[in-house]
Amino acid sequence: MALDASQNLEDAELLARFAQGDRAAAQVLTARLAPVVYAQAFRMLGDRAEAEDITQDSLLRLWHAAPDWQAGQAKVTTWLYRVTSNLCIDKMRKSNRQSSDAVPEMPDDGPDMERRLQDSARAQALRAALSDLPDRQKQAMVLRHLEGLSNPDVAQIMQISVEAVESLMSRGKRSLADALAPQKKALGLEDDG
Amino acid sequence: MDKEFSPAPLNDKDLDVLFAAAQRDAPQLDPEFLARLQAQAAAALPKSEAPQPWRRAVFRFLSQLAAHFGGWPAGAGMAMAGAAGVVIGVSPPDAVLDITSAYFQTESLSELSGIGLEAEFIWEDS
Repeated sequence: MALDASQNLEDAELLARFAQGDRAAAQVLTARLAPVVYAQAFRMLGDRAEAEDITQDSLLRLWHAAPDWQAGQAKVTTWLYRVTSNLCIDKMRKSNRQSSDAVPEMPDDGPDMERRLQDSARAQALRAALSDLPDRQKQAMVLRHLEGLSNPDVAQIMQISVEAVESLMSRGKRSLADALAPQKKALGLEDDG
Repeated sequence: MDKEFSPAPLNDKDLDVLFAAAQRDAPQLDPEFLARLQAQAAAALPKSEAPQPWRRAVFRFLSQLAAHFGGWPAGAGMAMAGAAGVVIGVSPPDAVLDITSAYFQTESLSELSGIGLEAEFIWEDS
């Protein structure tokens, strides 16, 4: 199928075409889903190389699942978020990761460089604080507040109840609020208040 | 006491500011890495099990031909008749032998073929 025509199709339809050997569907799905997976992995792990490994692994699992994919089962993105979350948690447990020591990357010069620098510093501080949370709390916080998913979606991905998600997020937010308190001024939060 | 000097925790609004900043600070995918992923996806494409066009055409032609001659019931009848012919040829029942003997004035088909060959050799010698 032509690449342009494939752009308008739903993920599940593209996956069905992938299973039939449609190269255009493979291209469109990769371009659409890889950035989502990579962003999620990076936000959970705080490391670009590891996020790339997870992205590669998650997509490979999706390709292998494609021939047996049942139309009407979980959304492709929901399935991918779940696989990516689990792979990230495995990685964190194996490396016994504590706080992120990664040096924040400086954005290039530009007209809104100041804002981007501030965003970058805030994002880095948040990632460091997130990395100290228990795995499930971190997973819930990333999916809800960074990936922008709804509570029911997060519950589906984590295979727990909505109430359990709310509980995880409540505890996670409290921990973040305490952990980031000393940096409040440095992160310019008093000016925003 | 230390606790009195510990900073106040962030409020929900502060946290929302941080979440929004982290969302805007989304990591960009390296184009080379994306190209590798594209190649990996292409390599993972299942091999198509659909028959080639010329094979489909041949299959369709044979199906139509078979249908023209009565379809599968006719094919099954022909197969049965063929099998019966082989059985009769290899191990003929007495009734068949009687008929062939009466018709060719011989005891068996092998004897008949022996006469035929002999006659042929005689003809070649003369």
